[in-house]
Amino acid sequence: MFSKKEEKTTYTVEKCVSCNNMTKRKFKTGDFLFKETSECASCKGKIMIEKIFAEAIKA
Amino acid sequence: MDFANFDIDQIFGLGDDTNPLLWLIWIIPIVIFMFYGQRIQLQITSGDIKKNIEKLKHLKEESRKELIDYIKKELKPKTDPTEKLDRFISYFTIMPVDMDPNGIIPKVRHIMRSREEYTRSQVKTIFSDIETLEITKVQNLLEVATTLQLLYKIVNHLFLTAKKQNNYPLILPLQMMLPFIMEEADALKEAISALKHGQPIGDGIGPMVVGKIMLGTEKQKVAFETVWSQKEYEGRKLYLLKAEGPLATVGRPGDGVEHIVSQYKPDTIIMIDAAVKLEGEDSATVAQGFGAAIGGIGTDRFQIEEIATKNNIPIFAIVVKQSIKEAITTMTKEIADKADETRSQLYEMIAENTKPGQSILVVGVGNTLGVSQ
Repeated sequence: MFSKKEEKTTYTVEKCVSCNNMTKRKFKTGDFLFKETSECASCKGKIMIEKIFAEAIKA
Repeated sequence: MDFANFDIDQIFGLGDDTNPLLWLIWIIPIVIFMFYGQRIQLQITSGDIKKNIEKLKHLKEESRKELIDYIKKELKPKTDPTEKLDRFISYFTIMPVDMDPNGIIPKVRHIMRSREEYTRSQVKTIFSDIETLEITKVQNLLEVATTLQLLYKIVNHLFLTAKKQNNYPLILPLQMMLPFIMEEADALKEAISALKHGQPIGDGIGPMVVGKIMLGTEKQKVAFETVWSQKEYEGRKLYLLKAEGPLATVGRPGDGVEHIVSQYKPDTIIMIDAAVKLEGEDSATVAQGFGAAIGGIGTDRFQIEEIATKNNIPIFAIVVKQSIKEAITTMTKEIADKADETRSQLYEMIAENTKPGQSILVVGVGNTLGVSQ
């Protein structure tokens, strides 16, 4: 009766293939799973998109 | 009657069961409901259905507008595509005669593929140069707009027929089905955003699991928009099959399985797919079972079951449960988090059901939008 429409945002989780370091950021057009995006700042390994998902925005 | 000695109990029959005024108060509504009951019910139900029809109309128009805006703004067509798109949205499909069901599957497959191929070629004609990913996205968006238009037309037709005939029983099935129709319509509307942005949807969990295993292997085309590769796992040979990502497509897993089985005769087939959860079940639960885990109209499932039966190959299934809405909208965190668990269950299943030296065909079933390999 008093339920509000849930607002959702899509996030992209990137993971370094070598050191397993993970970062979460907002989704950008052109992102897709297992795409190699950049180089890891700490170990120079490949960074790959591990997950893309929608999450409800916490009020 | 003695008006000087007025007795209220007597007027309303509170002390006497045979009072005519009380008798009328009871009998008139009974007579009204006997003759006009259905019409009254029809009027009450109509209000609610009308509101839902208005909502369906709004969803249908919104999906059409979003499709046209997306094409005009993002894909820069040669000419104004509105007229052409309106024609596509109104396309209908006549299913083959099923009085004699023998041999109906190839006919259904033929009709569905002809429709797909025609739509694809027509979409291409709107643009001078367009990427395959964008063609598949437009095809999916068209499918959403067409389905919403169809839902609106059917619901409106049933409602208007019942009203025209003043026939209450005719509106009952519609009243019962409407909550499910509205749930599907809302889900379709929400799917548009994921499709436009190329985000993985809940149905993509199967391709996501298999796609990660395929990383670093040599991928080959096995059927239209379908790829496969080979990998070793604990002395076993894995044949990995999925739709070609990150396109918005389910590929042709039936053709792919048929090709690999006829060429390499795997000992086991394992299919990973999203499955619609039952009410009360938790979302994103992983379950194992037997049989071909694949949805759709049924032609691919038939093809896989046929080839597996002919070659006596057992089919195992791993499914990730989700609602219809979760399956066609951007993948939720809960479902994405289950990819690793599903992959572990796949390896466990391989270890438990096969021996070293055997080969296993692993199929990631579902729409692979935003999921590469």
